[in-house]
Amino acid sequence: MKKTWFMFIALVLLLSFGMISCAGEAEIVERIVERTVEVEVERTVEVEVERTVEVEVERLTDRRVLIYNSYMSDPSVREADEALVAMFQEMHPEIRIQHSTVAHEDFKHAIRAYLTASTPPDVMTWFAGNRARFFTERGLIMDISDVWEAEGWNEDYPAGFRAMSTTDGKQYFLPTSWYWWAVYYRTDIFDDHGLQPPETWEEFLEVCETLKANGITPITIGTRYRWTTAAWFDYLNMRVNGPEFHINLMMGEESYEDPRVLRVFTDYWAPLIENGYFIDHPAAYTWSEALQFMSNGEAAMYLMGDFLRDVYPQDEVDLIDFFRFPIIDPDVPIGEDAPTDGFFIAADSRNPEDAKKFLAFLGSVEAQQYLADNLGRLPTHLGVDMSNFTDMQRKGLELIQGADFVAQFYDRDTTEEMADVGMNGFMEFWDNPGNIESILAQLEFAREDLFAED
Amino acid sequence: MGKDISMRALKRTRALPGGGKFSWYKLGNTLTPYLFLLIPLILYLIWVIGPMLYTFYLSLTRWDGMTPPVFYSANPLRNYQRLFRDPVFAISLRNNLRWMISFITIPVVMGLALAMALNRSLPGAKFIKASFYSPMVLSLVVCGLIWSWMYHPARGLINEVLRFLTNNPNLTIGWLSDSQLVMWAIIAVAVWRQVGYVMVLYLAGLQGIDPGLIDATKVDGANGWQTFRHVIFPLLGPVTVIVVVISIIDSLRAFDLVSVMTRGGPYNSSSVLANYMYIQAFNNYRMGYSSAIAVVLFLISLVFIFIYLWHILQDELEY
Amino acid sequence: MSTKQFFRSPWRVLGFIVLVILMLMWLVPFFSALMTAVRTNEDIMRRGFWALPNEITLENFRVAWDRGNLKRYIPNSFIITIPALVGTLFLSSLSAYALARFRFKGNRFILFLYVGGMMLPFQVLMMPVFRLTDALGLYNTHLGIILFHTAFQLGFCTFLLRNYMRTVPNEILEAARIDGCSEFRIWWQIMMPLTVPALAALATLEFTWIFNDYLWAIVLLQDDNLKPVTAGLATLQGQYVMDWTVIVAGALIATVPTVILFIFLQRYFIEGLTLGATK
Repeated sequence: MKKTWFMFIALVLLLSFGMISCAGEAEIVERIVERTVEVEVERTVEVEVERTVEVEVERLTDRRVLIYNSYMSDPSVREADEALVAMFQEMHPEIRIQHSTVAHEDFKHAIRAYLTASTPPDVMTWFAGNRARFFTERGLIMDISDVWEAEGWNEDYPAGFRAMSTTDGKQYFLPTSWYWWAVYYRTDIFDDHGLQPPETWEEFLEVCETLKANGITPITIGTRYRWTTAAWFDYLNMRVNGPEFHINLMMGEESYEDPRVLRVFTDYWAPLIENGYFIDHPAAYTWSEALQFMSNGEAAMYLMGDFLRDVYPQDEVDLIDFFRFPIIDPDVPIGEDAPTDGFFIAADSRNPEDAKKFLAFLGSVEAQQYLADNLGRLPTHLGVDMSNFTDMQRKGLELIQGADFVAQFYDRDTTEEMADVGMNGFMEFWDNPGNIESILAQLEFAREDLFAED
Repeated sequence: MGKDISMRALKRTRALPGGGKFSWYKLGNTLTPYLFLLIPLILYLIWVIGPMLYTFYLSLTRWDGMTPPVFYSANPLRNYQRLFRDPVFAISLRNNLRWMISFITIPVVMGLALAMALNRSLPGAKFIKASFYSPMVLSLVVCGLIWSWMYHPARGLINEVLRFLTNNPNLTIGWLSDSQLVMWAIIAVAVWRQVGYVMVLYLAGLQGIDPGLIDATKVDGANGWQTFRHVIFPLLGPVTVIVVVISIIDSLRAFDLVSVMTRGGPYNSSSVLANYMYIQAFNNYRMGYSSAIAVVLFLISLVFIFIYLWHILQDELEY
Repeated sequence: MSTKQFFRSPWRVLGFIVLVILMLMWLVPFFSALMTAVRTNEDIMRRGFWALPNEITLENFRVAWDRGNLKRYIPNSFIITIPALVGTLFLSSLSAYALARFRFKGNRFILFLYVGGMMLPFQVLMMPVFRLTDALGLYNTHLGIILFHTAFQLGFCTFLLRNYMRTVPNEILEAARIDGCSEFRIWWQIMMPLTVPALAALATLEFTWIFNDYLWAIVLLQDDNLKPVTAGLATLQGQYVMDWTVIVAGALIATVPTVILFIFLQRYFIEGLTLGATK
């Protein structure tokens, strides 16, 4: 009696556990069923059972699945991204794109899981340049030189973008869109005080002084998430020491304790902070919260990427214009930040054929034209028709074309770890400009540690 | 009460090898607890303990999360050595301690006081209880967002009130941007959230107390405070233990609010260990180093686990 | 005590006023969340977040629903949460019964394992668990994340249920034993009914936790068709653009199931925690 009970209950336990586990599988089964149902509707006409089974199998393999994971979570960008997928679906009904959108920050964290999973997403969005090279070097990105060749991109893309996508003579990446950084300002405030967009550092300081004298904070900035400080460092360092030195510093080949770096902080950055040209308590705000000071007229300028105009109250966005970050030393070549985004195929993609088709589409004039027209971003393909461009787009394009060197951005040009330490250093400098030497010593310590490991 | 069972079990086990006949029944009884534990424990070992042990191993390696981990064969403790030189680790540890001390004091006192106040037929008691509990229902992202607006230096509600109280229109305190204040500002939010939770736990405890007992002490002439001090609070002892245990766990694992409100900034002054670990692992691609942080964090919590287990062990010997 | 009686003492009136002020402090954030959800982003941008809205709009809820694709994600949340919840309560009641009611070799050690796992900062397990899930072929399946949640919550549930089960008077179980009931029957027919309040309390807490989980969902799932609602809400946050009004509206939508559950199980919630705490 006892024993039977005991066996019985043990069995029930196992079964119920099995049921719990199966509940999860039900969904997968459901999805497979869903797919077959589609077919069943069509086959009602047919009578022969055997044949329909064949058809069913055929249809299932016919409609190939392509997994596309994207970090385009900004509202307008996301819409454009979805529209591109829809355009491709229309052209290739035999391919079913399984499109997932992940919040931008989290995508960056999850990508290593994606890339090393046994079934990685086939196509993913990513940053051009060093951040993509990091994965290329670890063999996680597929060589797409054949697509570059077949689509004629080697000729249709500027050499700079091609170089950005190339490692050891092979192309791994497809850069598709980019935007510029500049100093955005309120034209109406400038007009009220008879100010002109400054071109040199002296003019810039004069503008700041005039604004401040009139009770307007010259520059707004929200540094809660730190990267806005990195833009100031990028530009000041490029303007003072030139882009070549800057990029070598990013690559870990120059020292943060170099007197040239120190000069950027003591001679240029610190005076701005100490003269009260920035808003108070920038660390309390995210970049978009700090934009409020500009939209309500308390502050006049903001060093920012072009996405600023997406967030600015739309009925007043016409009051916003931008100018090139002022020139400090006319003998130094001009460097600009212009972060570029694009796509790649995972090395272990299950469906490289279709992935390449999709990439070919994303790199085509058609797709880029769509992004440029609808999103205001700049295209990488030379064939894109620019006649419909807005004045802002043209001006941005000229800004970058007039540069001698185009950098990506601090955290894209250097390594993640270095960027983390570096941006903390900038934040600390902001609070205690006098401590800069010990802060730079910390950065140098981190640089030696981090770059020595590789 | 557990004693009877154990005594019987003991007798049985002793009887087994002693010579009596082998009995399926007796064997079955010895095995019973293990059978109960079989499935849950297997699942737990695979999904939690296994990865945990692997984390211990990872803490001796350099791992970028993609290529295979590289064991520091020359100096396996390299990550730990680096950890103890790392100023951010020290800051984070200190912040966790601040968090913990605040957590086992303020919400406990406030939660208890509220529970005492609300454990009677007050007008609108139900609504008041629900209000205090409402922060628990709001997602942490929303909490963090709303509070960063409360803390807004120029237009935040808190500074507005302070300006009104101090009559100083130029007062702007950067609660989240001042490296001295930021940790306390975040802890305040965490405490604000925790009070309702502690209150509910104490309310639960209070309902378990026999009202007759309290009446009896009142008849004996004890005043309200004496009743509370000598009768109610000791009776709530077990609740307090649970509350403290939960508070310690929560403060060691503190993560979300920091991650939403400041991500540890400005320059790490509001960093806590779990957050620092997450940044090292998922932002900086240093899984090995981040595992070392986790191991240290685990060792710290081990102290509390032992204290707690010792406590229940003591308690249960009385059975 | 009637309201009138209660307010006879001036101290009580004062105390009550303090209480109400405190309560308002606790309600301000909730209230402002509601306020934010019915305003437009531009209104906030221009007039600040503490200004009363010019006009009230429900548009944000619609946008959150559509853009966040909540219709697709919400069922997934339930598909993940409910089996994980049932599984973890069922299995932890088994192990809690063993740990609470038997003295055997390894009892303390196993309890220690459970409590220890509960203390672990879980973020660190993410990559190892991801590797394991992938190796078992469960990556990007609901089963994988359900099993993980079930296992991971076992620590806390076992710990609480064990304490609770120790409070059940031994006489009840002894009587059943004398009647010749097997231990499994005692567990199922006697212990489990007695444990209902604790199970209900735990169900509320666990539901909230699993339902609100986000980190694990993005590590163990990759396909948007499988992800829970928290992942859908997260996609409302852009790289640069934060539509806060929409994000808050979405978050409010996602709290509805938790609130409903809490209202239903509220009675048990208090009762269940009580008995576990005061032995």
